[in-house]
Amino acid sequence: MHWNEVVCTVLLALGCVINFSGSYGVLKFPDFYARLHAAGKTDSLAQVLILLGLVFVTPDVLTKIKLMLVAFILLIVAPTATFAITKAAHLDGLRPWTRGGRQ
Amino acid sequence: MNAVVLIDTLLLLLVTATAVAIVEVRSLYASSILTGIYSLLMALVWVNMHSMDVSFTEAAVGGGISTILLIGTLVHVGREEKPIKKRLHVPALVFTALTGAALIYGTLDMPRFGDPAAPIHHYRVPEMMAQTVGFVNGTPGKQKPPEGFDLERYRRFDGRVTGPIPADPTDTAWREKSILQTEGLIVPQVRAAHEPHAEPGHHLHPPDDFNGHVPNSVTSLLAAYRGYDTMFETTVIFTAGVSLILLLRRPRREGYLQPGAVMSDQVILRVVTKLSIPFILIFGFYVITHGELGPGGGFQGGVVLATAFILYALIFGRAALYRVVPPPVSDMLTGLGVLIYSGTGAVCMLLGGKFLDYSMLNPELPGDGESLGMTLVEYGVGITVSMVMLTIFNQLAEERST
Repeated sequence: MHWNEVVCTVLLALGCVINFSGSYGVLKFPDFYARLHAAGKTDSLAQVLILLGLVFVTPDVLTKIKLMLVAFILLIVAPTATFAITKAAHLDGLRPWTRGGRQ
Repeated sequence: MNAVVLIDTLLLLLVTATAVAIVEVRSLYASSILTGIYSLLMALVWVNMHSMDVSFTEAAVGGGISTILLIGTLVHVGREEKPIKKRLHVPALVFTALTGAALIYGTLDMPRFGDPAAPIHHYRVPEMMAQTVGFVNGTPGKQKPPEGFDLERYRRFDGRVTGPIPADPTDTAWREKSILQTEGLIVPQVRAAHEPHAEPGHHLHPPDDFNGHVPNSVTSLLAAYRGYDTMFETTVIFTAGVSLILLLRRPRREGYLQPGAVMSDQVILRVVTKLSIPFILIFGFYVITHGELGPGGGFQGGVVLATAFILYALIFGRAALYRVVPPPVSDMLTGLGVLIYSGTGAVCMLLGGKFLDYSMLNPELPGDGESLGMTLVEYGVGITVSMVMLTIFNQLAEERST
């Protein structure tokens, strides 16, 4: 196994684990905001890790640049989308869950 | 088991599960989101089958804009489905089962997936591709015609390959015959059935003509071979936009642009939107322009362009969007796209060719004329599609605020 394949495998595995934990969080967390927290945080990180992992195995320089560009754009756009959704829910009057159970 | 088949099976199981969930779920919000998920899964299936164009369209139209429009509609009709009594409707069940059986029976006649002997790989398509990208001789792209090239003969050549489709897919002698029949003017890029794929990562995939790379047979087919179909598809979208304007647009009352909750006071959203809109627009134009040679085209690119405008309206309010694209301008551009398409066809006729015979646009280099015509036509499609999408969004949003 060449070194770049090793790096790629590690990054892909890491991305998959984080993605899985995010999906688990979406299923298990109590309310909308917490679920979105799980989905948004882990998704952007996991996807960036997977894309960076692929950068190490693509032979083509142009594809490498495109993958890095996609990762960069995701890094900016994905958290912004999460923010926009949260803000919309907040403006709509959705209250966060508390242990007291007001929601 | 072949990895491609394995992934396909998993994806199709997920697609089926999503479809069942769409029918079963009571909340219309949930089913709208599930529709988006369904489209994304289908896009993955298309990628797996190497039809990048279809996948692209599915992701942009089905996963992207349709979801926005469905949710826009939900604002009017409410979130929950009305409860209905569920009972077995026997005639409907019988009819559905029969239709399903007929469809499955129909697929038995279709060639196997990736079958190199399938008619699409032999009948017209290789020659069409060769015509479209110019004089293909191992390398795709526009090249000068060879010495002693008979232009009249090239024009008369309509890409027919004579002879029956070979029973044995590995029979390359048939292909050589068909190549010889065109007397070396056009060398179709037909991959021999037994020839393995050169690129890494494709070795598991059945051989196809373009191996997921350029030259793109889809656009050659859609814009040249099936130029009429595509023109009328564009006209259908144009008609949809016009009907929507006629049905939903009302005289402007005072305060019809009252914004609900405008997001523009959020610094993060404002900055990121302003940063990303230029890139979305560039990408949209790239997709339209690239459609001539690679996966892409007017329909997909048009939708991408429309999302830039819709994003602008979502963040800065529709009043700001109307300052950028006033409704009269978007109405006019809707028609302009169709006009560009049919106008290109008419120009080809005026230059002495048939309707939509792009090679007339550059008599010296027919291949060049083909790609010029296709680019023009794709831009026509893109303009119409993007403006119709924008009109749909505007009308839905306007309905909400009045």
